[in-house]
Amino acid sequence: MKVKKAIIKTGIFIFVLFIIIISVAPLLWVLLSSFKTNREILGGGLGLPAVFSMKNYTDALKLAPITQFYINSILVAVVSTAASVLLFGMGAYVLGHFEWKFKNVFRTLFSLGLLIPGAALLQPLYQTFTSTNLNDSLSGLILVYMAFGLPTTIYIMSSYFQTIPKELEESAYLDGAGFFKTFIRIILPIAKPAMGTAGVLQFLLSWNEFQFALTLTTSNTKRTLPIALYYFKSQFASNYGAMFAATIMVVIPSIIVYILLQEQVVSGLSAGAVKS
Amino acid sequence: MKIKKKFLILFLLPATAAFIFVYAIPLVMLVSTSFTDWRVGSAPIFNGLANYIQLFTADRQFISAGLNTIIWILLQSTIHVGIGVVLALILARKKFYWKFVRTVYMLPNIISSAAVGMMFVMLLNPSFGAVNTLLGKLGFTNLPNWFMDPGTAFGTVTITWLPFAATVTILVMAEMTSIDEGIMEAARIDGATEGQINWYIILPLMRNIIGTTTILAATSMLQKLDIIMMTTKGGPGDRTLNLPAYVYQTAFTSNNFGIANSIGVVMIIAGLIVVGIINRIYKIGKNSAEG
Repeated sequence: MKVKKAIIKTGIFIFVLFIIIISVAPLLWVLLSSFKTNREILGGGLGLPAVFSMKNYTDALKLAPITQFYINSILVAVVSTAASVLLFGMGAYVLGHFEWKFKNVFRTLFSLGLLIPGAALLQPLYQTFTSTNLNDSLSGLILVYMAFGLPTTIYIMSSYFQTIPKELEESAYLDGAGFFKTFIRIILPIAKPAMGTAGVLQFLLSWNEFQFALTLTTSNTKRTLPIALYYFKSQFASNYGAMFAATIMVVIPSIIVYILLQEQVVSGLSAGAVKS
Repeated sequence: MKIKKKFLILFLLPATAAFIFVYAIPLVMLVSTSFTDWRVGSAPIFNGLANYIQLFTADRQFISAGLNTIIWILLQSTIHVGIGVVLALILARKKFYWKFVRTVYMLPNIISSAAVGMMFVMLLNPSFGAVNTLLGKLGFTNLPNWFMDPGTAFGTVTITWLPFAATVTILVMAEMTSIDEGIMEAARIDGATEGQINWYIILPLMRNIIGTTTILAATSMLQKLDIIMMTTKGGPGDRTLNLPAYVYQTAFTSNNFGIANSIGVVMIIAGLIVVGIINRIYKIGKNSAEG
């Protein structure tokens, strides 16, 4: 019995260690390598760099218009997040808080997106966007990302609105506030936790998205960071250090957002999954 | 509570407009043009089921992309989910390390898949990658070019997503908090081991959420374009081609829109079938007593 227990304990230890290593080691290796010289990288060392140099980062910024891509990524992620919690929040409010005809039809409609693999819509979306001049524009990307986050945003926020007591607005109406004003002044401030949860997921989706950024943008002035890695892979091929640095620059914002808002990410994932 | 019609319409408008523009219209275009011969520069011409017949009888790339996708769906819904569930069971004991492990395990899932692909390309680079360096130090020789050799490419691509099951772990752990501690306490008093408790009490209660995560894991395999594009682009040959990558190639490299859109329709149907099957296997939505 004791031996069996020891074996199980060792097994668990190895398994957990394995999980930690595969999650951290690649990132750590890329991070360390991003400070190394090309010669150190080609030497295949696994240890620390001799000198922590920022040269790879300045090289990467010179090789590819990364600053521009950064600005684009920030714009796309911030605007799509803000617009989505506000505008889809309105939809979630009437879905979660009121009784009306066809409510369930709309609920089902908004969750349908979960059943459609994005890649299936690549060509039709490209076509629609070209004919409406949204192709190769940041606003086009923002719209697509908002729509792909729509099912989760609506679900998380409308579940929250369901829990808000109706007496709150009734007293606001008695005080003479209109519907819209009540929503902005009373409801939204209460819904901050739900906005946070839905917002974090929307931000990560927009920051990380690849396939639509790949197909719906064509010029460097409109591309986002994940695409930078794809298009400049060959440019970086002669300068491995810059490649490592560029990768780190792409992942750092997601990691910071996640570390700061971990609880929102975790609860958002749990809430979003129940839906499907 | 009642709501005035004008406010109802106004408040539903943004979400409805986004839905129509990004889902509904493209979906109608997708399905209708999947029955046409449509290439770049020409108008679509109705050709009935010709695209579908062509795909399933004469298009070898489509067949391999489909088979690869099926294998990946199977692996993801079993091994990937299994790893996530086992870790959830371990972390649920709330040993001192649980929060740390949950946090770091999530890292590869929250960073951009394009960056994950890039990281693996560098890790497995035959001349300076950490993996071959390490294996070389352990005395291995003749190490492969992992992403490029026909014998290793498929397995290597699989490794970039198969073990990263943090979402499964998080969802199962969240659901486990709903288990009544009394049941487990009673089992312990009756002399049940941790293993028996996991197997006979916790896992059956987790059936719904495991089913849900299996659906998420399986359908995510119909979305994997980013990592494929960053690593192998479907090669060598069509060893690592999947349906999303084949749609992309057909639409934007061969510019055969009609065929690309029939593959899109096949993907949507495949997704619905996968969801249906997993729903049946796990009897999602029914409670445990009905079993």
